[in-house]
Amino acid sequence: MRTSSLRKVFLGLLGLAVFILVWKLITDAKLVSPIFFPSPERTLASLIKGLSGGALLGQTLETVQRMLLGWLLASLVGIMLGALIGVSRRARAFIAPTLELLRPLPASAMIPIAIAFLGFSNPMVLVVIAFGALWPMLLATIHGFAAMEPRLYEVSAVLGLTRLQTIWKLALPSAMPMILASLRLGLTISLILAIVGEMLASRDGLGQSILLASRSFRSADLFAGIVILGAIGLVGSRLLSLAEARLLRWQATR
Amino acid sequence: MRSVLKTSWRAALLPVVVIVVAQIAATATQLESDSLASPIDIVAAFFAVLTDGSLLRATADTLMAAFCGCVLGVGAGSLIGIVLGLFRLADDSLDLTIELLRPVPVVALIPVVMMLLGFGARMEIVIIALGLLWPSIVLARAAVREVEPRLMEVSAVLMLGFSARLTKIVLPAIVPQLFMSLKLAAGYALVVAVTVEITANPFGLGYGIMMAQQALRPAEMFAYLLWIGAIGWLISLLLNAAQRRVLPAFAKGDAR
Amino acid sequence: MAVTQAPFHAGEFDRADPVPRSVQPRIRIRDVTLSYGALQIIGGISVDIAPGETISVIGPSGCGKTTLLRMLAGLAKPTSGSVELDGSVLAGPNRSVAIVFQDYGKALLPWRTAAGNVSLALEARGCPARERPEIIRDLLDKIGLGRHADKYPSEMSGGMQQRLQIARCLAQEPKVLLMDEPFGALDAMTRQALQDEVLSLVAMTGATMVFVTHDLEEAIYLGDRIVCLQPNPGRVGRMVDVRLARPRDQLMTREDPEFLRLRRELYDLIKDDHQ
Repeated sequence: MRTSSLRKVFLGLLGLAVFILVWKLITDAKLVSPIFFPSPERTLASLIKGLSGGALLGQTLETVQRMLLGWLLASLVGIMLGALIGVSRRARAFIAPTLELLRPLPASAMIPIAIAFLGFSNPMVLVVIAFGALWPMLLATIHGFAAMEPRLYEVSAVLGLTRLQTIWKLALPSAMPMILASLRLGLTISLILAIVGEMLASRDGLGQSILLASRSFRSADLFAGIVILGAIGLVGSRLLSLAEARLLRWQATR
Repeated sequence: MRSVLKTSWRAALLPVVVIVVAQIAATATQLESDSLASPIDIVAAFFAVLTDGSLLRATADTLMAAFCGCVLGVGAGSLIGIVLGLFRLADDSLDLTIELLRPVPVVALIPVVMMLLGFGARMEIVIIALGLLWPSIVLARAAVREVEPRLMEVSAVLMLGFSARLTKIVLPAIVPQLFMSLKLAAGYALVVAVTVEITANPFGLGYGIMMAQQALRPAEMFAYLLWIGAIGWLISLLLNAAQRRVLPAFAKGDAR
Repeated sequence: MAVTQAPFHAGEFDRADPVPRSVQPRIRIRDVTLSYGALQIIGGISVDIAPGETISVIGPSGCGKTTLLRMLAGLAKPTSGSVELDGSVLAGPNRSVAIVFQDYGKALLPWRTAAGNVSLALEARGCPARERPEIIRDLLDKIGLGRHADKYPSEMSGGMQQRLQIARCLAQEPKVLLMDEPFGALDAMTRQALQDEVLSLVAMTGATMVFVTHDLEEAIYLGDRIVCLQPNPGRVGRMVDVRLARPRDQLMTREDPEFLRLRRELYDLIKDDHQ
C-alpha cells in the first residue's frame, strides 16, 4: 500500500517532468513560433514577474472575487428556490418540466440578453455568472428533495416535525450529496463565465488580460494567465472535495 | 391516459402563462424597447430569419463545428482513456499531469487557439475537442477499470493477444459507458460552440444572437435564444431516445 | 370505574391475569374498514386494547397486518370506522404513538449519529437543547448502545440499527409503541436478545404495545393477547389470551406446556388460512 502510493507519486512527478521537457524541446527546436508558443522558462518568468508587483495578482483577485460572488449568489438562490419547489409535489409538477426544458440552454446564450439589459458592466457579468451557475444547484436540490426516502416523510409525520423542521432536518441533509456535487459543477461554470464575461465586457481580470496578451502576441503572459486560471480551478475543486468528504463522512461508500 | 393528460397539462401551464402575460403586458404598454420584445414579435422575427436563410446557415455552422469537435474530442479522449485504463504504468505516470491540466477552463484556451488558427470553423472545432478531451479520458479510463475482473481473467486464461483483448473483451464491455460519454459530450459541445461564437468567433448561432443584440433587434435576439434552447433540448431528446433504442438495458440507470 | 381501582405500577402488575376490561381502553379500534377503490383490504376490525397491554398481531401475508398498524399510527386513514386513542378519535400521526418500522435502514437518518437520531425525536417535541444530551445518553444506555453514540447508522449492524430506532421511539415518550415486524430481518440470537429488551422496556415505561409479526413463537412470547387476522378482506379470525407468567424467559417460557399448546393452536389456525 505504502510502496504503491510512493510509486504513484514518483511516476506522477516523472510524467510531469517529461511533459515539461517535451514542451521545452518543442519550443527550443522552434517547431512552433515562439510568438505563439512560449517556452516553459519564459512562461514561468512571466508568471513570477506578474505575481510579484505585476498586474497579474490584481487581475487574479478580480477574477476570483467575481467567480465567488456569482457562485455564492447562484448557490443561495438555487438551493432556496430548489427547496421551495422540491418540497411540494404540486409545485414540482407545475414548475419542474419548464426547468428541464430550459436546462440544455447554454448559459452563455444568456450573455447577449444580459448585455441588452445591463450593458457592458460589472453587474452584467455577475448576473451572467449567477444565472449560469444557478441551474445545476436548482435542479440538484429539486431532485434531491424529490428523491428523499418516503419512509423518512412518515418518520417526520410520526415524530410530529413541523414543515420547516422536515425541510431543515430531513430533506436538506438527504439532498446534500446531490447539492454538493452541483456546487462543484457550479464553481466550474462560474469560473468559465467569469472569464467569458471579462473578455466580452472588457472588465478588469484574467479573462481580459489573456485576451489582450493574445492580441498583442505576448504569448508568455497569455500562458502565465492560463496557468493561474488552471490553478484557480484546481484549488476550487480540491477545497470543495475536502468539504464534501467532511460533510458526507456518514456515507458508507466513502 | 388521463394521468398523462394531467401531467402534460400541468407541465404546459407555466410556459403558456408566461407567454400570455408577456404578450398582454407588451400590448398594454405598447412596448418599444431595445431589450424586450413581445412574443408575437419574437415569432415574426423567427420566421424572418428562418426564411432569409441566415438562421439555418448559422445553425448548420454551429452544429457542424459541435459535431466535428465532439467526434474529435470524444474519439481522442476515449482512446487515451482506454490506454490509461489498461496500462497501470501509463496511468500512474500521466495522472498528475492530467489532474493539473484538467481544471484549466476551456474558454481560457480561446485566445491561444485564436492566435494559432485565426477565426473560423477550425479554431472552434479545436476548442470544442479540447474541452471534451478531459471528461472523455476520465470516463473511458473509469469504464475500462470497471470491466468485470472475471472477464479480464478469462482473457488471460484464453491467452488473448492485446488487440483481441481490446476488441473482444474491453471495447464491447465499455460500449454503454462510451455512449454515456458521447451523450454528455454532445450537450457540452453545443454549449462550448455557442460560448466560443459569442466570445470571439464571428460564426454560427452565438454570433447571430450577439449581432441581433448589437443591432438592437431584441425580437431577433430572443428568437435566436429560443432556437438555441430548442436545439439543445432536441439534441438531448434524440440522444435519450437513441440510448433507449440502442442500449435498452442501460437506459434505466439514467431514468432521472 | 377506573378511579376506584388500586393504583398499580406496570412492573408489579401481573399481566398473566386478563387485563380488567372496565378500564377505558388506551386504543379502541371501532369497526374499521379500508378500501382502495373496489378492493377491500380491511373489512371491519374491532379491538379494544387496555393501557399497558401487549397485543401481538399475526396472520398470513396480505391479511392487512401492516395496514392495520399504519392506521393505528395515523399514517393511513380508515375508509369507515375509527381508531380512538384514550377516547378521542385519532385524526393523524400523534406523538404519543410511536412506530418502529421493519426497514430500519430507511427509517434512520444516515447523516446523523446514533445520538443525533435519538435527538431528532427530542427536537420534534421541543425538548430544550440543554436537557437533550442526558436523555439521549440514558436512552442509549438502556438499549445497549451507550458506547456507540457517535457512530453513524452505516457503521452499525442491523441489530444495532433496530435498537437505535427503538431508542428514538422511546424518546418520544409514547403511550403506545407500534412494532411492524421489527426483528424480521435479524438473525435468531439478536432477535431473542431484542425481544427481551423490548419486554423489559415496555414493562419499565408501562407503554401499550402492538406487535405485528409473522413468527408465531414471537407473538406468543411477547403478547398478553394475540389477534389472528384472516385475509381477503383482513378481519379478526380469533382472539387468543396468553396466560403465561411474566417476566418471561427465553428457555422457561418457551418450554411451558401452555406455550406449546398455544403454538399448536395458532399453527392450526394459520394453516387453515393458507389453504
